[in-house]
Amino acid sequence: MIEVTDVVKRYGATTVLNRASFRIAEAQLTTILGPSGCGKSTMLRCLNRLERFDDGAITIGDVQVAGGAAGAGSRADEDDLVQRVREKVGIVFQAFNLFPHLTALGNVIEAPMTVKHMPRAQAEEVGRHYLSRVGLAGKESHYPAQLSGGQQQRVSIARALAMEPAVVLFDEPTSALDPRLVRDVAKLLRALDDLKKTLVVVSHDLDFARAISDQVIYFEGGRAVEAGTAAQVFEQPSHAETKAFLDSFNEGANPVGAR
Amino acid sequence: MTAFLRILVFAVVATGVPTGDAAAQSALDRVRQTGVMRVGIDATYPPFGMAEGGEFSGFDVDIARAIARELKVRAELVNASFDGVFPALQNGSFDVVISAVTITPERQQTLLFSEPYIDAGQGIAVRQDSTITGVDGLSGRTVGVQINTTAQFAMEQRAGVTIQKYNTIDLALLDLRNGRIDAVASDAPVLRYMTTLTFQDLKSVGSDYTDEQFGIVLAKGSDDLRRAVNAALWRVQDSGEYARLYARWFGEAATASAGAGGAAPSAIDLGVIARTWPIFIRGVGLTALMAVTSLVLGLPLGLALALARVQPQKAVSVPAAAYVEFMRGTPLLVQILFIYFVLPVAGVNLPAIFSGILALTMNAAAYICEIIRAGILSIDAGQMEAARSLRMTYWQAMRRIILPQTFRRVVPPLTNEGIALLKDSSLVSVIGLTELARTGQELASRYAAPLTIWPFVALLYLLLTVPLTRMAQYLEDRWRPVTRS
Ligand SMILES: Nc1ncnc2c1ncn2[C@@H]1O[C@H](COP(=O)(O)OP(=O)(O)OP(=O)(O)O)[C@@H](O)[C@H]1O
Ligand SMILES: [Mg+2]
Repeated sequence: MIEVTDVVKRYGATTVLNRASFRIAEAQLTTILGPSGCGKSTMLRCLNRLERFDDGAITIGDVQVAGGAAGAGSRADEDDLVQRVREKVGIVFQAFNLFPHLTALGNVIEAPMTVKHMPRAQAEEVGRHYLSRVGLAGKESHYPAQLSGGQQQRVSIARALAMEPAVVLFDEPTSALDPRLVRDVAKLLRALDDLKKTLVVVSHDLDFARAISDQVIYFEGGRAVEAGTAAQVFEQPSHAETKAFLDSFNEGANPVGAR
Repeated sequence: MTAFLRILVFAVVATGVPTGDAAAQSALDRVRQTGVMRVGIDATYPPFGMAEGGEFSGFDVDIARAIARELKVRAELVNASFDGVFPALQNGSFDVVISAVTITPERQQTLLFSEPYIDAGQGIAVRQDSTITGVDGLSGRTVGVQINTTAQFAMEQRAGVTIQKYNTIDLALLDLRNGRIDAVASDAPVLRYMTTLTFQDLKSVGSDYTDEQFGIVLAKGSDDLRRAVNAALWRVQDSGEYARLYARWFGEAATASAGAGGAAPSAIDLGVIARTWPIFIRGVGLTALMAVTSLVLGLPLGLALALARVQPQKAVSVPAAAYVEFMRGTPLLVQILFIYFVLPVAGVNLPAIFSGILALTMNAAAYICEIIRAGILSIDAGQMEAARSLRMTYWQAMRRIILPQTFRRVVPPLTNEGIALLKDSSLVSVIGLTELARTGQELASRYAAPLTIWPFVALLYLLLTVPLTRMAQYLEDRWRPVTRS
């Protein structure tokens, strides 16, 4: 579904992504794991073109995104590319970024109405459907400020799903939640299996990753060091960096997890 | 301000561009054809010029009407600050200025004068208990004058005199009464009239220390109108009408009568309000009209400017930023003067009210732009990212996500701007618009009742702001950001 080839991203003199290459399989839940600052969020932002990159290529289904000079077309070309990428790829932000002036339902139906020109009644139907999918039936008319952090995250997930992208990216879905809610998020993500979405989750929470992942990519120093099924990576890591990361995690106070 | 006006007048004159209809038509023909002689006057100068709403009275007013009658036309009097009358004459807004203007060689370089119509030397007014007995006692003292008058010029020639300038003569006399200055220098007839009738705790002292003559002022190029005015003036003098008018305003009878105000100057006299409230209502109306129109027009303009400034295309954002920089970096007063007095040189001749509204609107738009821009920038960048990630275009995101949140935030600062606009609109009096503050000025000097007039003016301004703050409160309540209850 997604193929990342030698992607390079620099901020001035610092190279944040350093020839990152990996594949993400369709309809699988892939976790990108790695220490803080290794470029996970940046990678995710490149995947839905919130960020341009300097070199390499990303292929999402039939959409090709080239880095650097090759990727920088005219404004119209770029707008068109952005549209095609985001038609396929939705994102759930780390801070959720809900629209505070709209209700939960309003948040979910806004894009279907303005972007897809869906009639309000139909959009509301879609919105209610996805809100109930994430367990928020009955909270439609609540404003974000009237919802708990976990509920806000669910609205944000429903909002992304309502645009029906094939791929949904999650940036650190557990970082803003208390440990009990982490388990709920894990359950929720697994409960979306029947939608056959390609889910890409960035995390540095090992237990969470273990609980949800089909595939795992281990990121360090701006590149994918190791990739494989959850069992492979967690039980028999083949790279020293991965092993060190897993070990450091196990040594620390064992966080509440799904184990 | 004065220096700027001088430059303006100079610029208008120096370019030699004929203004108004002067090029196509002689001044006299224009007056004859329209049947109207437009007379500029600073009607805060008893007994020469006084105004009460649209009603004018005074010696200059009677002279203007007498001359108009001789010319078989109607005199249309326009009240403007003394500072503003000359540029307005230059740009063709008036045909003549009859406003106790002394004939001086300096003024004759840029303006035309009729034959003198009255002798009026300079005099001095002091408090009743003052030891100053004449102009020679002013050394080391602070002397009040009306700005840009021959009294100011004369005081500037005298060593050791500290000059304090006032917009109107009654403000100078008030300050004298309050003890902030030691004397007031002005035209002797005016001081005699004011000290006899309305400032009885003041006295005029010494003999006139200059020989001055007042003339009717015309713009350069109005030579045929000047000849006609001179001829009319002679006929008024020969017929005996002049003598009658002189006696009416300067004779024994004038000072013996109760005069215009008649009120004890220090008392709060609600009778003045009772008599003049319709005039105040007109002032309130004009102030409200100017402020509301400018706000209503300034809001969309300011919003467009703000959007231009925050969007990424330089070709659009840079000019918008330059506009804002320019409008905020120059005083509103200068902008008003520019639009009214300088644009006519380029052939754009807007009536005073449109000039005022245009200046206020353009100025307010710059401030509104910055308020809205700050509001937009205060919205978390994640909001735009989230909207864009949902495939909204930049403008869809702006309209549906960013601006609705912005509006909630900018209601309080926009209310401030609206109130500021209401008060700043008083600056348009410089181009002859009698809005609320100028109405106050007019009536305060007409009735010498500042203690009544100014608190009342303040009260009216306060009342004007109430609907604005009410509306803001309503919007704030309606749009209150939803928070945890
Ligand atoms: N806009 C930016 N300008 C400059 N440097 C940036 C920018 N965004 C990120 N970086 C740098 O890029 C590196 C990778 O950042 P990124 O947010 O992708 O890390 P991460 O792996 O998501 O870390 P974490 O797990 O802490 O979220 C960091 O060193 C960060 O300082
Ligand atoms: Mg991150």
